[in-house]
Amino acid sequence: MTGADAAPSAPNPVLAAIRSRRMVRAMIDRPIERAKLEKVLEAARWAPNAGNRHLHRFVVVQDPLTLRVLRMVAPGMFQRPAAVVVICIDQGRAVSFGMRPTVKGLYIDVGTAAQTLLLAAQSLGLGAGVVTSFSQAAVMRVLNIPGHLSPEMFVCLGYPAAIQPPGMRARTRVTWQSLTDWERFPAGDDARS
Amino acid sequence: MAKTPPMVLNEDEALELLAFLITAARTQLDEASEYGSLRLLTAANRLGDAMAERVSPATRALLTGPLRKVPELAVRTADLADYTAALDDLCRAVGEHLVGHFGVDRSVP
Repeated sequence: MTGADAAPSAPNPVLAAIRSRRMVRAMIDRPIERAKLEKVLEAARWAPNAGNRHLHRFVVVQDPLTLRVLRMVAPGMFQRPAAVVVICIDQGRAVSFGMRPTVKGLYIDVGTAAQTLLLAAQSLGLGAGVVTSFSQAAVMRVLNIPGHLSPEMFVCLGYPAAIQPPGMRARTRVTWQSLTDWERFPAGDDARS
Repeated sequence: MAKTPPMVLNEDEALELLAFLITAARTQLDEASEYGSLRLLTAANRLGDAMAERVSPATRALLTGPLRKVPELAVRTADLADYTAALDDLCRAVGEHLVGHFGVDRSVP
């Protein structure tokens, strides 16, 4: 069978979600159904994490007043989301595994959890955007977060508005080829290091 | 009929602050990056000064207490750890005040 005869490949929903996902910074005033939120959270439970230790906790905020106050202490929150998932590191449990608070794995796992939440949201027709610019101290007070947990990232969720503000432009055009070297870096390519 | 909340800034005061923020955004391009925090705190202090006599006692306590504790010319390069701790203390006080002022329910649902 030649390439011309081969059946077209079935769409890959995972790659489609990855390719179509964008940071959503404008959301409409519509609550998210509980069942959808729970599906997004269940996806996060399956995010890759070092040693399968699950050293992260999620605080989900839907109360409009609390969301309004959170936005006051989060300069990076442009959107007015219907819900926020606050990803926290359980520093107390990390210490019990002999891990220092600065160990990079703890923060890499915040990223994998966030990416999983973003893609799950995308697959369910929700918009999502991450926020890291907030006062940890203020957020801990607002949400009653105990001292052994550190809030590290917000994942804002909501139904996207039809018109979005322009996103952050890449400084130069980026392709997967421009980001990739095979096997090793070219010898003597000091300008790129 | 719902009472209109009292205004805590008149137009002149609001314009003064608006102008400060806009021009600080521009001057920041030519200044040391550590001036970013300094300018923002200056704006917060000026806003606090304008508001102080027109707000509730609890908000006034925030404006005249924790907000005044960070020295006006403090910058992070002088002592990063101290500066960071001072700003975290201020953020903590702001968070606590917002919870009380807006009546955020912190009980577990």
